[in-house]
Amino acid sequence: MDELTREFLIESQEGLDRMERCLTDLETRPQDAALLGEIFRSVHTIKGTTGFLGFKRLEKLAHRGENLLGLLRDGKVAASRGVITGLLHLLDGLRVILKFIEADGCEGTGDDVALIEELEVLHAPAGDAERVSIPASGPPVLQNGPSPSTGLKPAPAPAAPSSASPVTAAESSAPSAGPQIVPDLAAEQCAAGVPAASDAGKPRTQAGASTAESTLRVDVTLLNRMMNLVGELVLTRNQVLQATAADPKMTLLSRRLDMVTADLRESVMKARMQPVSNIFSKMPRMVRDLSQSLGRRVHLEMEGQETELDKSLLEAIKDPLTHALRNALDHGIEPPEDRKAAGKNPEGLLKLRAVQEGSHVVIEVSDDGAGIAVEKVRDKAIERGLITPDRAALLGERELLQLIFLPGFSTAARVTNVSGRGVGMDVVRTNVEKIGGKVELDSRAGKGTTVRMRIPLTLAIIPALIVRSLNQSFALPQGSLSELVHIPPERAGTAIEWIESAPLYRLRGRLLPLVFLSRLLDPSRACHLAPDRDNFIAVLDADGRRFGLVVDGLADPEEIVVKPLSAVLKDIGLYSGATMLGSADLALILDPGSIALKANITMNSEEEGAAQVEESDEAAKAEFLLVEVSGRRAAVPLADVLRIEQLPLSRIEYIGYRPVLNFEGHLLPVEDSGGILAPAAEVQSVPSGTDCAQIIVVVCRDGGRHVGIVVSHVLDVAAGTDLFEAGTGTQAGGVTMLKNRVTGVVDLGGVAPLVQGEPAHEAWAQSAEVMA
Amino acid sequence: MTAPATAVRNEKSQAQVELCSVRVGKTMFGVPIGHILEIVGSARPQPVPLAPDYVGGLVHYRGDVLTTVSLRQLLGLPPCEGAQDILVLESQGGCFGLLVDSVGEVLTVSPADFEPNPSILDRRHSALLAGAYKLKDHLLVMLDPERLDPMRLAQEMAER
Repeated sequence: MDELTREFLIESQEGLDRMERCLTDLETRPQDAALLGEIFRSVHTIKGTTGFLGFKRLEKLAHRGENLLGLLRDGKVAASRGVITGLLHLLDGLRVILKFIEADGCEGTGDDVALIEELEVLHAPAGDAERVSIPASGPPVLQNGPSPSTGLKPAPAPAAPSSASPVTAAESSAPSAGPQIVPDLAAEQCAAGVPAASDAGKPRTQAGASTAESTLRVDVTLLNRMMNLVGELVLTRNQVLQATAADPKMTLLSRRLDMVTADLRESVMKARMQPVSNIFSKMPRMVRDLSQSLGRRVHLEMEGQETELDKSLLEAIKDPLTHALRNALDHGIEPPEDRKAAGKNPEGLLKLRAVQEGSHVVIEVSDDGAGIAVEKVRDKAIERGLITPDRAALLGERELLQLIFLPGFSTAARVTNVSGRGVGMDVVRTNVEKIGGKVELDSRAGKGTTVRMRIPLTLAIIPALIVRSLNQSFALPQGSLSELVHIPPERAGTAIEWIESAPLYRLRGRLLPLVFLSRLLDPSRACHLAPDRDNFIAVLDADGRRFGLVVDGLADPEEIVVKPLSAVLKDIGLYSGATMLGSADLALILDPGSIALKANITMNSEEEGAAQVEESDEAAKAEFLLVEVSGRRAAVPLADVLRIEQLPLSRIEYIGYRPVLNFEGHLLPVEDSGGILAPAAEVQSVPSGTDCAQIIVVVCRDGGRHVGIVVSHVLDVAAGTDLFEAGTGTQAGGVTMLKNRVTGVVDLGGVAPLVQGEPAHEAWAQSAEVMA
Repeated sequence: MTAPATAVRNEKSQAQVELCSVRVGKTMFGVPIGHILEIVGSARPQPVPLAPDYVGGLVHYRGDVLTTVSLRQLLGLPPCEGAQDILVLESQGGCFGLLVDSVGEVLTVSPADFEPNPSILDRRHSALLAGAYKLKDHLLVMLDPERLDPMRLAQEMAER
């Protein structure tokens, strides 16, 4: 295929996508001239270019569309439902032909039979449709017609007055005459202010001139290659940083390398980002078609279309999203009569929302439909033997809802068609989890259902905790890590409790099943904690299965680049990939989900886990991290704490007087109200060998930015109680009751942004003062 | 008999064949150089717990992670202490590394000197080896990269 044709295909497809978007918009705003103009231009461009490239059939079809669109734009035909349906089918027709061109490179060669058929079907029924069209013009029965063609032709007739009908009829009765008639029409349109038909590219170029000049099409394979290379660079950077850490001469250089790599990585990742509108835009059409065939009335609201996601991930969530939407329409939103009877607006509301939250994008599909009948879910699950009745009786509503995601559940629902909801929800979950995401479900009977998908921003580079076992390093993706438990040597003998052969750890009053990594990897090992050194339990949450992984040791967290494993090693079923560490060692990436499966962490613990997660989520709102700053106690809202880092003082750099920290490639303003850095630096300047002063930085989230807070010690995590001013009863801001002491809450917003470069920790200092 | 060496003989019987010689234990083996992408010297592969025995571990190779096959293990020899050399081989299933004790030189042999596997060779070895060339003072045992492909080995293990 030559460059010109390829360009034409890409442009046409973009044009058609735009047209589809506009068409569904047109339904709500039938008088919008700008929309009509946009649609017209899309078809017009295709027509013009096809004529130029010699794709006669495509040209003919586009001609027809343009014809109808011209009438629409001139106001001779109203944009009724029927017309829009017809135009949507025209769109499908054009797409089919474009696909042919894409496959064969040429319209007339190869498997041409199907193409001609497609076109003849589009041509033939025009005459018949003329007759049929009047009865069919009313309700949207037409859309459900067996073939797209019946929808295409009758559309203009009902609304179009006498002037339009003859043209359509003439075309259909004598296809050869079509081209002669239509150019006249096209000329008429030109007169009406549309750019000349001979230069098809022109109108579009004019419309998008500013963007066209500053953008460039890049092959995705090239982007993938760039991403791989950047991954390599990140690895090399990690190694360089580790190798040069001791050499002060190299520090500046390696820092520079660090920054540039981080920037480059971000840029390349950005280049791969696409707005979710790319897939959202396909949804109105689907919702429209589906709601009509299901007899629902639905209003679709979309939000956060500009949210961006890696292209490969975007592709991957298309199916789950479609599935979730279908579910919402099919099982969520009730038929209009039912809705009326329930006192709701007969038009259901379907919301599609995308928003970025940290390193994840959350995509929500919510409806205001009937919700999920929890009892039905429970009965179904019991019937399918997925859960025992005793067990089910113990479960709360939310846990019961999660049963919908079980594979056996959905199959049953599909076969018997009894369940209220849940067709293929396991498919949604599997697909989303495949790309490292999570699915949550919320439903209230009678009020509606929300399916929430949490998708990581990128796949290739992920943060991971490096753990040691069997004298080897393994990477544990941070995404599934919920906390780390440290067991000092003196507690090694008593920390673990046993039920027969099952090791358990009592974590905040709940029993956590344990998996010993060394035992898992080498069955000859025994399950016990080493009494002569520190032991660590990584508390993991894999698809709702919660368990503790006992590891021999911890190393620093690292950003790792995921490399695929050969099939032989993938079949072991424990590793999701491998990576190169900064130490130049290879590390296998552990797959928490597979470990849970292998260790038989089953449903029972899954539900307990889910309940616990929920509880801790609720509790987190009022929990604080209690820290000590130069002898004073202060509290940081736990929900805002990203990480507690112990690092050498040399990692702190200065912009003017402002201390900053290069944290995972991002610059953090560092708040040092306690003046910890200065004395530590003095200690540092005393040449005491390679021994480097360590400081503790609490990395917190403050809205969209991150800030670091230097503390002397981290004391505890505790739930705070709101304080009320005596007499007035108003809630006291900036303080909380922690462990029976009034404690100042660190005002993260008070940390001045870096751009100002002005230290402004008064606010913070004040709040810390209160508790004194 | 699908050994590349035979194929070469059938096509042009007089053409010389170039082989890379490698040593494992006391035996000299030959690998057709057409299948060798690269030779990586003195590598220490990262062991993979729970992997099949014949997997020698993972090595970093040009930005990717390469699975290696331990020839020692396949031949039933005790594991080697210290670094080994790796032949990066290309098979239909993709790339993999072959762990050998040391890589020798490139030899040019005449197809006329080729002999297929002897019938007295046990099944395990005859599945791995692809005949031998008679050199002046010793035999050069042929290896067929396709037969050493980890995927293929995994299939064979499953069939057994």
